Amino acid sequence: MSKTIPQLKIINRLHVLRAERRMTQEQLANEVGVTRATIVAIEGSNYNPSLELAFRIARYFQVDINLIFSIEEETK
Amino acid sequence: MKRFDSILLKIFLFGLPIVIIVFAISNQGMINQDKTFLKWLWDLTGIIFATWMALSLYLSLKLMISEPLRNHVLTKLTFIRERDEREAMLTGRATRTTFLTSIAILVFLFFLSCFQVSIGKLPPNKTIEGKHNYLSLGIGFRFLESPRSSMPKDTPENENIFSYTCLPLSSTTLILILILWQIISYNYSMRRLTKRKME
Repeated sequence: MSKTIPQLKIINRLHVLRAERRMTQEQLANEVGVTRATIVAIEGSNYNPSLELAFRIARYFQVDINLIFSIEEETK
Repeated sequence: MKRFDSILLKIFLFGLPIVIIVFAISNQGMINQDKTFLKWLWDLTGIIFATWMALSLYLSLKLMISEPLRNHVLTKLTFIRERDEREAMLTGRATRTTFLTSIAILVFLFFLSCFQVSIGKLPPNKTIEGKHNYLSLGIGFRFLESPRSSMPKDTPENENIFSYTCLPLSSTTLILILILWQIISYNYSMRRLTKRKME
């Protein structure tokens, strides 16, 4: 019997942090070195950033990475 | 990309309109006129054309072995954009789709090029058990291109209704179709992936 691995969903508070600092998606994209489409995809939970990009975003906002990205188990 | 290759690439690209003009002129039959200027012009364009041909061979060979040249030229020709990690990931997925569909097409074309089918009518004196139609099936593989002669011929005795021996396309057309397929498939997959919600 194979072990069932629960599906994890990565949720983020990127749009909240960005709104707090009154930043546009374009500005944030330029700061962390990606395209605006990538920021849109991350905020819409359509794309999970790499560890490097996640740390870069956290470093830019000067917060712990767990404050931006967290996981929750997906229920089917 | 080396400076030398960059210069050669520019010469190749700027020479392309001249080659098209040469092709158009040669089809018009203007060269046959007994005019010194036209003869001289024809000789000059001939040299340009020969140089362009040599350049195209050199650059296509260089594209196979030189990664910087390949990255510089082919990414522009195929509209590959990898501005960040997300686009690089999407490129990987689109390339995978393109690779697999290309393999599928090539397998299909391989079978089409191997199979031989012929349907025809036998003469009345050669009927077998009262049947006068025949269906001939065959499979063949040739390493080098050669005329196919194993299939029943349309003779005064045999009336060939349908015969299929190989792909009707020329090798040049086939290669061109495959090149275009690669570009179209990649760009279509990329567009679809950027619109689709990713996991």
